[in-house]
Amino acid sequence: MAVWGCRFLLQRGTRLISPRGAAESPTQFAGCIRTVKTTTWFEEHLTEDNQQYMRKIMAEEYRQQTAEKLNPLKDEPWPRQDWTEGSRRVGLVAVKLGMAPIWTKEGERHVVTMLQVQDCHVLKYLSKEEHNGRSAALIVGGKNVSPFCRSESKLEMCRNAGVPPKQKVTTFAVSDNAIIKPGTPLYAAHFRPGQYVDVTAKSIGKGFQGVMKRWGFGGQPASHGQTKTHRRPGASGPGGDPAKVWKGKKMPGRLGNIYITAFGLKVWRVNTKYNVLYVNGSVPGHRNCVLKVRDTVLPNRNSTLLNPPFPTYFSEEESDLDEDLFDENLCTHTDQSLTLT
Amino acid sequence: MAACTKGFDKFITSLRLLRNLQLQNERFLSTSVCRLAPGNDGQPPKFIPPSKPVIIDKTQTAASLRKFLSPEFIPPRQRTDPFKFFLERKDMIRRRKTLDIPEFYVGSILAVTMADPNANGKTNRFVGICIQRGGKGLGATFVLRNIIDSQGVEICYELYSPRVQKIEVLKLEKRLDDNLMYLRDALPEYSTVDPEMKPAPFSATGDVPVNKIKVRMRPKPWSKRWERPKFNIQGIRFELSLTPEQMEHAQKWAQPWQEYDMLKEYDTSKLEEKILIDVQKELSK
Repeated sequence: MAVWGCRFLLQRGTRLISPRGAAESPTQFAGCIRTVKTTTWFEEHLTEDNQQYMRKIMAEEYRQQTAEKLNPLKDEPWPRQDWTEGSRRVGLVAVKLGMAPIWTKEGERHVVTMLQVQDCHVLKYLSKEEHNGRSAALIVGGKNVSPFCRSESKLEMCRNAGVPPKQKVTTFAVSDNAIIKPGTPLYAAHFRPGQYVDVTAKSIGKGFQGVMKRWGFGGQPASHGQTKTHRRPGASGPGGDPAKVWKGKKMPGRLGNIYITAFGLKVWRVNTKYNVLYVNGSVPGHRNCVLKVRDTVLPNRNSTLLNPPFPTYFSEEESDLDEDLFDENLCTHTDQSLTLT
Repeated sequence: MAACTKGFDKFITSLRLLRNLQLQNERFLSTSVCRLAPGNDGQPPKFIPPSKPVIIDKTQTAASLRKFLSPEFIPPRQRTDPFKFFLERKDMIRRRKTLDIPEFYVGSILAVTMADPNANGKTNRFVGICIQRGGKGLGATFVLRNIIDSQGVEICYELYSPRVQKIEVLKLEKRLDDNLMYLRDALPEYSTVDPEMKPAPFSATGDVPVNKIKVRMRPKPWSKRWERPKFNIQGIRFELSLTPEQMEHAQKWAQPWQEYDMLKEYDTSKLEEKILIDVQKELSK
C-alpha cells in the first residue's frame, strides 16, 4: 500500500513540480523511485463505468457457472458404485466460521467449530498413474475468488471443470470406486452427524519463538542468583562422548504457520441449507481460513462410517433431507429443558 | 401579567384538587347509592350481591413491553463472518421460544431453576443478585451471587443451556455499574438475598428503575483495586475506606486519552435496532 502511495505521490509530485521548474528539488523523491512495480490491475486502463460493468458481468458469470453445476446427475455422471468396506471418499474444502457451545442430552457442554462449505467443486480427476502410482485422486477447490493473482495452470483447471476460480485447491486420495466427475458440487451433507473427520489447515503463525513457548521447556528460576538465564534452553546434549548436538534437537525457531491435521473430530450437526458442519472441539487455523475436511483415517473410528452418501451427496437424489441433521445424542434448541435422573 | 398567570395556575390546581375530591366522593357515594336504591319503592330491600372484586395479583410479573435486546445478541467487534452470528441467532431464538428468558440487568435479583443430577429432587433453585453478564451468542452467561450460611456463593449460569428450566426475575432494577464484581469485597449485607423472596411487581413499560445504592467496602486488600479509573465504579463509598491521597494516587493510572481513540469506538445502535426487529419478528412467529 505504501509503495503505491509513494508511486502516486511521485507521479503527482513531478506533475506539480514540472510547471514550476524541474530544478527545484528532485532529491526529496529519490527514496521513492527505488520501488518499481511491474504488476498491473485489470482496471488500470479502464474508465469507471467499464470497471463497474466488468465487475458486474464477472460476478454474474460466476453465479451462473455455480448454478449450472447444481444438478450433475442430469449431466451424465460417471458410473456409480456401491459403498464397500475400506473405500475412501473425497473430502471437502470448508471455511472456518468460529466456535459455539452445544449441549448433549446428558446436559454436558461441548464446544464445536462451525465450518462452512462454500462453492466446493471437484476440479479434476487424477488417475493412479498421474497421481502417485498408489491411488487415484480428486482435486477439489473451494471458495470462489477473483481470477487475478491465480496461476494460469490453476485457472485452466477451473476452466476445464467449468467452475469459477477457487481460493483453495487440494488433492484427496480416493479409492477407485469413489471417483466423481469434475464440476460436481460438494455439500456439507457429504458428512453425516455421528461420524468422525480429520481437519487439515495451516496453523496460526507465531513467528520466531523461544524454547519455552515452542517446545514447552521449563526455563530457569526467576531469582536465586540467576544471571541472564530465565527462559534459555539449558544444555543441548551430552559432552565429550558424542561430541556433537544430535539432529532434531529442540531449539528456538519459527512456530506455527505449518499444515496441521486434527484427527478424529466428531461431527455433531450438519446444516444442509447453509452447508455448515459443526465439528467437535477446535481445529487448526485462524477464523475465516480455508481448510480441508475428510473422513477420518483413525482405524478405531472407521466403524462410525456406515453407508455414507457414496461417492458423495447429490442434492437431487436426497432432496427430502432435513434442514438440520443432529447427532442422536445432541440436545437441539427446540427441545424442552432437560430433567436429569 | 405574571401575577395574572400565577393566579390562573392556582385556580387550575385548585380545580384539579376539586376534581380529585369529587372523583373520590363519587366512588364512595356510588356504592352507598347502589345499596339504598331498591329501598325507595317501599318494597323490602332486595339483596344485591356486591360485584365481584377483580383481584390483580401484583406478584405476577407481566412480560415486559419495553424495547429490549438482550446484550448477547449484539455481535462483538471482530473479523468473524456476520453469517456466523446469524446462525447463532437463529438457534438462540429457537431456544427462547421454548424457554422464557426474561429481561434482566446486572443488579436485578433472579431465581434460576436448573436440572442437577446431584440435587435432592433433581432440581436446584438458586436466588441471588446478578453481578455480571458475559459472553456473546449461544455461550452467554450470567453470574448470581448470594450469601448462604454466611458464606458467599456465586453461580455462573449459561443462558442457553438446556439444563436451565426456569428463570424468574424477582426484582427488576439496575445499579450504578454494569459489573458488580466488587460485591465480593463489600460488606456481606449488600449481596445477601432472602432465598424465599417473593417476586416484586414491576412496570412493564417505562424506564427500568435504577437503584442508586452505594456500598461500604470491607477493609483492604480487595480482590481488585476498584478505585482505579479503568473500572470507573460509581457504586462504592470510597471515602469510607480510602484517604483522599489514596484516591488521588489512583488517578495516576487514568488514561484520559482513550476516549479520543477513534479505533476503539464501536457504535452498535444501528446494528442493535436491526437485530431487534429481526428477533422480534422471529419470536412473534
